[in-house]
Amino acid sequence: MIIQLNKFGTTLTSRQDGREAYSAFLSTLQSVPNNEEIVIDFDGVVTFTPSWADEFITPILNTYNGRVKLLHTDNPSVEATLRLLEKIK
Amino acid sequence: MEEKLVTIREATKMLGVSIDTLRRWDKSGSLKSVRYSPKGHRYYNLDDLKMMANDLFSVAKKWALDAPALPKQEYYCPDSLVFKARLGRLEKDLSKMDEVKNIFPLITAIVGEIGNNSYDHNLGNWPDIRGIFFAYDINKKQIVLADRGQGILKTLRKVRPSLNNDEEALEVAFTEIISSRQPEARGNGLKFVRQVISDNNSFSIEFYSGNAKLCIKHGSENLNIKNSDINYPGCISLIKF
Repeated sequence: MIIQLNKFGTTLTSRQDGREAYSAFLSTLQSVPNNEEIVIDFDGVVTFTPSWADEFITPILNTYNGRVKLLHTDNPSVEATLRLLEKIK
Repeated sequence: MEEKLVTIREATKMLGVSIDTLRRWDKSGSLKSVRYSPKGHRYYNLDDLKMMANDLFSVAKKWALDAPALPKQEYYCPDSLVFKARLGRLEKDLSKMDEVKNIFPLITAIVGEIGNNSYDHNLGNWPDIRGIFFAYDINKKQIVLADRGQGILKTLRKVRPSLNNDEEALEVAFTEIISSRQPEARGNGLKFVRQVISDNNSFSIEFYSGNAKLCIKHGSENLNIKNSDINYPGCISLIKF
């Protein structure tokens, strides 16, 4: 499964929005077969923050540990956010 | 060179505030009148007024320190939805600037973290005015955010009662993963701000809460926390890029 984050918006900044995105997407996530990889695609996202990511990306990483792939991106706010999340894991 | 002075009535017109507000500012020291006539009239230095009228940080500072009142509508984000819309506008305005075209998402991201922090930590607990002051000047390359919330020390003492003062609280807020909303996992926002400013040679921030002041200069990890002679009940920050 590929999760295209730009389908949630291009300015992904608040916890509130991240939590809402995760809740809305949870049923889709739960339908993914156990052996399928989950790919998170940041293409098209303009502004990304640790607050949003912590409500959406972190629970996915915690639940589907080892099956999640984060697609490379050049966006500096995505890079900085993922670097911080990695640091505090 | 002699200072150009104007009357209090002219000053109210320039700043769009009432005489009572100017008197309060005079008393609190945030905008001092410079001379009294023998009859006791107040006069204001024209340069002080011009600076005040154009300087967003001064406007935010007055709002943060003065008696409770709503800021000008153009600067006021009563809730996170209004803030989100205006953050989107900042992102769009920055994206048109050639000099920040590669880094503008980082600017929007740190502004988003600071603004959303105010809402997350004061939801249902605003001491007087709900919401934040948010303004920017693209030409001066400055962004200002302020709230009249509980401030960093009071917020963090909920989970770290041993914190002694505002300076310690700022240090913890910008360096440790600590959440005042435990058991929720929170508390990354200001660490992110520090990381972004330290990793890039393009921004700086001044952040005030209580009587502590923090200043991170571009490319530096040093927080430069000092005692400030002004006591802000909430938080106020100035980002330069």
